Amino acid sequence: MKKVTIDPITRLEGHGKIEIFLNDEGDVQNAYLQIPELRGFEKFCEGRPVEEMPRITPRICGVCPGAHHMASTKATDAVYHVDPPSAAKKLRELFYCAHMIHSHIAHFYALAAPDFVLGPTSDPSERNILGLVAKVGLEVGGEVIKHRAYAQDIQTVIGGKATHPVCGLPGGMSKPITEEERKDFEEKAKSEVEFGKFSLKLFNDLVLANKEYLELITGDIYTMKSYYMGLVDSNNKVNFYDGDIRVVDPDGKEVAKFKPADYLDYIAEHTEPWSYLKFPFLKKVGWKGLVDGKDSGVYRVNSLARLNVADGMTTPLAQAEYEKMFDTLGGKPVHATLAFHWARLVELLYAAERLLELCQDGEITSPEVRTIPTATPDEGVGVVEAPRGTLFHHYQTDEKGIIQKANLIVATGHNYPAMNMSVKKAAQGLIKKGQVVSEGLLNMVEMAFRAYDPCMACATHTLPGQMPLEVVIRDSRGEVVEKLSQHLHSELTGIRVTVVS
Amino acid sequence: MKTLILGLGNPILTDDGVGPQVAKELEGRLDQQEITVMEGSLGGLNLLDLLVGYDRAIIIDAIETVGGKAGQIYRLDLEAFDATRHAASVHDINFATALELGKRLGLALPQQIDIFAIEVVDTSRFSEECTPKVTEAIPLCVETIVQEMEGGQDA
Repeated sequence: MKKVTIDPITRLEGHGKIEIFLNDEGDVQNAYLQIPELRGFEKFCEGRPVEEMPRITPRICGVCPGAHHMASTKATDAVYHVDPPSAAKKLRELFYCAHMIHSHIAHFYALAAPDFVLGPTSDPSERNILGLVAKVGLEVGGEVIKHRAYAQDIQTVIGGKATHPVCGLPGGMSKPITEEERKDFEEKAKSEVEFGKFSLKLFNDLVLANKEYLELITGDIYTMKSYYMGLVDSNNKVNFYDGDIRVVDPDGKEVAKFKPADYLDYIAEHTEPWSYLKFPFLKKVGWKGLVDGKDSGVYRVNSLARLNVADGMTTPLAQAEYEKMFDTLGGKPVHATLAFHWARLVELLYAAERLLELCQDGEITSPEVRTIPTATPDEGVGVVEAPRGTLFHHYQTDEKGIIQKANLIVATGHNYPAMNMSVKKAAQGLIKKGQVVSEGLLNMVEMAFRAYDPCMACATHTLPGQMPLEVVIRDSRGEVVEKLSQHLHSELTGIRVTVVS
Repeated sequence: MKTLILGLGNPILTDDGVGPQVAKELEGRLDQQEITVMEGSLGGLNLLDLLVGYDRAIIIDAIETVGGKAGQIYRLDLEAFDATRHAASVHDINFATALELGKRLGLALPQQIDIFAIEVVDTSRFSEECTPKVTEAIPLCVETIVQEMEGGQDA
């Protein structure tokens, strides 16, 4: 067979792009973040039975299939006007806690921690999970993999498949769990709680104990005053699976609390000519452009937003960590974008504690996991807190349950205006006139939006299996003065392959 | 030898679904106890999780190359990807980094990993069908893998 050399590229529209515009003085005038959009999802859904949606929507994204599955399943409950039995809701939440644990561990250890443990401007060839493990010890790496695997095992047993769950049905779940499975989950949950505690200790020792990093977190270039949105339970505590949606203003005051079905009364979308993606904003505050503050309807979701909107956590260890975080960072709400990482670890501990509670719930092995729907299907909204923020699924069907219209608002969508602003602010704070823009500096710009754990679903797995990002810097005439595509072709050329056909 | 055959990609994103489609065909053809056929749209650490415990893995995925011809099938081994190991990533770590991590942690990873990559055209539109040239490539990719598995050695 013939041997050739190939140069893999990432799809033309498939990568994120940051464009930074300089003014005559060489300072940052503007910065834009562009995220590719996948086309035709609504049309793809139209004409399909609504109960297929919980199996289709996890395919949108290889990163958070569990979140789409649950939001979609809840939307089908609403479409069929059916209330699942209590045991089914608990089983769903148990599954969902495992999903959050799985996702949060990956983000912190693979994506967030290297910047802090190795330093934001350290050599990029070291600034990754391998460098992290080299520094903090192989055994930590082993624990990371083990606890991700535990969370994955729980999702697989309940979800029915290793990667894309199929367990949720309108009105409940496809099957209960056995006592043997419950016992196994309980042991794993105990271990997850310990790992959650360990992760917060690691953050404390490596990040908070370092004055420079604490200043970076609380510093102006990574601070943005905005509204926040997240799901809360009936006591205004954080809940990932169910509840009402609460919105607080930049002073932390509740300005809205609403049922998922009413979301269109609260959220509207703005369009810009330079972006395929729309810009959601709070309808009652209004769109004032990409600006922060109380008069601007820009809001944020994800970990820090959830903690900012809630009055606390329902589990003891996470509650203590929640208090510590707000005490350290000067009270609620916290506007420090890099604190999303800290909040994510508080949530990791909460998810583990809640997982354990549910594993020990007397009802969790009950065979009563389904209420058969009898009403005529029409319309429904389902909401969960995805690892990256509030996720809305909204379906309209005909009387046979065939989809007529589907609308999704995903976490990265909510955060899109804020991510743009955070990138601009970081660029303005870091890139000054006449200065050479180094890789390290650009990494610090990237950190502003990596904190949001953005999910650009389309590009997570196609070979070579990494999300590329291109950074383009233009002068006042619009000419490109610098182009850094560190994640694009540069290191991926000249791969030797065999041609099969 | 415990073998995992993994079709990577999003089955509802036009050509991105080529890996899962090949896997689906193989499922019916390779009914052997030692062979597990799976599909999934994932990468990085999630991919690493799936590979643990197998002696051998065959991965089928979509690829786009400079000047590539739609439907062209390439075969890559791990060394080919070693160059990408140090590249940072926004969302998840890349495949080579994930494997290197697994190796350093002493995970039971496959001794041999072969990747079949099919040159694709459209991966940003929702559809369950691949574009024509990519669809035409599926039978050859399936046959190549079947022969290799039945022959028990490198084709």
